[in-house]
Amino acid sequence: MNKIILIIIVSVSSSLINGQVNAGGVETLQSTYLEQGAGPFSASAGETMWRKQYLDKKSGKQRSCQTCHGRDLTKAGKHVRTGKVIEPLAPSANSERLTKVKFIKKWLKRNCKWTIGRECSAQEKGNFLAYLKGL
Amino acid sequence: MIARKKVRVWDLPTRLFHWLLVMAFVLAWVTHGESRHLDVHVISGYTFFALLIFRLVWGVVGSHYARFSEFSYTPKELFSYLRSLSGNGVKHYIGHNPAGAWAIFVLLTLGLLLAISGVIVLGGEEQQGILAGYVSFDQSAPFSALHETVAWAMVVLIVIHICGVIVESVLHRENLVGAMFRGSKWVAGSSAQIPAHQLVASVIFISVIAWGGLSLNTYLAATDEHPYQPFKGPALAMNELWNEECGACHLAFHPSLLPARSWQYLFEQQDHHFQEELMLDDETLNELLQYALNNSAEQKKTEAAWKINRAIGRDERPLRITAVSYWKDKHSTIPDITWQQESVQSKANCGACHYDAEQGTFQDAAMRIPNE
Ligand code: HEC
Ligand code: HEC
Ligand code: HEC
Repeated sequence: MNKIILIIIVSVSSSLINGQVNAGGVETLQSTYLEQGAGPFSASAGETMWRKQYLDKKSGKQRSCQTCHGRDLTKAGKHVRTGKVIEPLAPSANSERLTKVKFIKKWLKRNCKWTIGRECSAQEKGNFLAYLKGL
Repeated sequence: MIARKKVRVWDLPTRLFHWLLVMAFVLAWVTHGESRHLDVHVISGYTFFALLIFRLVWGVVGSHYARFSEFSYTPKELFSYLRSLSGNGVKHYIGHNPAGAWAIFVLLTLGLLLAISGVIVLGGEEQQGILAGYVSFDQSAPFSALHETVAWAMVVLIVIHICGVIVESVLHRENLVGAMFRGSKWVAGSSAQIPAHQLVASVIFISVIAWGGLSLNTYLAATDEHPYQPFKGPALAMNELWNEECGACHLAFHPSLLPARSWQYLFEQQDHHFQEELMLDDETLNELLQYALNNSAEQKKTEAAWKINRAIGRDERPLRITAVSYWKDKHSTIPDITWQQESVQSKANCGACHYDAEQGTFQDAAMRIPNE
């Protein structure tokens, strides 16, 4: 009996710890952005920018974050150039999302350049993450 | 006028053999050269092989007119028969005439060559079947050429055979095609007694149906999660870092799909990778490059690797798999609207059609065109 309770306690607490580690990717990044003088972060500003269309001068086409990730972030998107399926971005639909600092950094850099035509500021990146983590 | 009576000439197994062989040949012919139907080609090929072996046995133990000894004529007899065709008084044979008999022997020989070379090519080029692992890609190449040549020779001979049947039917006012169905001919004078051999015929018939049914059963059992994959190749080396770095924007193309010099070139220009940036640090890049070089097309781990490597000139280093002539040939029959489909979108979206794209094996018949 005691043994079973112990197992339950250990597994519950370890999943809690895991949950914290998972959430850590966004928090760690946001605190770095704070150190760079950005903040506070606004999920609604992030959402506005997420939906905004930017004109790509070379192709003459409109681009937005939705171009690849789709309109509903709890559903899979599709890479606009290659057709490859991109798993849902919302952490509620995909628990592996926004967990790895290096990964998030790399893709924010790349996707901002591709979509907006320049790298995003610390403030903008913090806003994006504030929006995404609440999904 | 001599009285003529209707007698059985061809026993049931001989007739069944003839028409099953025709069907197996036609099926194998129409599915040849198309990877997506290689399974049907192989199944009909094996059936063809088994039927030939049966006929060899039946040529010794079968009924009178089916025996080889009954219709082995010397070349001299053949030529005198052919000469007599232009004049009157062509000799009538109850069984096979010398021309038909020679056609049969040559067809049987070609058929055996065709089947044997087919098994060798299957073992070498596809690494499938009983010879898988015993024949290398390079060793099987001449047999591939032989297989094709023999098949064409057989087609030519079949056409001659059919012409012969027509000529003979007209000359003797007898329906030879009908005789190969019904088994009987109108004969004047004496002829051998031919049993029907229903039991042997039933065994052949049931075996072919059972074998065909078993082979196709996997088609019916297939689901979306477990698609029908008639051929599976040996597993290729995988690399997690590669799958992560190269598998985000598109399929992580297996390194066996391009030669080492192409991969080298691709990494050299990582800053403008098809207008994207790969953003790889030196350590990551080195590991990826090492993996690519160790498993490149030159290593000939798969049929695709072997053929891609063969198709690229020594002085070329294409960055696209889809630019290699072998790839273009293989996909040349796919119409533009297929490529523009929602679910395909790009030629490089291999996984839209190939079940085993992620494993990199690109086996024959493991593909389907979406919405078709
Ligand atoms: C050209 C296609 C494309 C566009 C446009 C795009 N993304 Fe992405 N994004 C990707 C791909 C591909 C990945 C990585 C693949 C994966 O994670 O499944 C990714 C991953 C990400 C990640 C990392 C997710 C994680 O699991 O950590 C973030 C954050 C992200 N994108 C944000 C954005 C933002 C913000 C925009 C708009 C500025 C944007 N993306 C626009 C293709 C795109
Ligand atoms: C940021 C997105 C992105 C990443 C990451 C990426 N690629 Fe690509 N790659 C592309 C795009 C876009 C194309 C062009 C697709 C098209 O035109 O259909 C492409 C095309 C290719 C092609 C040619 C496909 C063809 O048409 O035959 C190869 C090979 C290739 N990539 C290899 C790699 C390798 C190896 C890596 C990892 C080191 C990698 N890619 C990482 C975006 C990416
Ligand atoms: C639109 C669907 C589609 C896409 C996308 C596609 N293929 Fe194919 N592929 C086919 C079909 C269909 C065949 C069989 C053609 C035939 O029957 O001869 C084939 C044949 C092949 C073969 C020959 C297989 C064999 O053993 O004979 C190779 C190798 C191959 N594809 C590689 C690729 C690669 C690599 C990609 C991505 C860069 C790709 N294909 C993308 C449909 C596709």
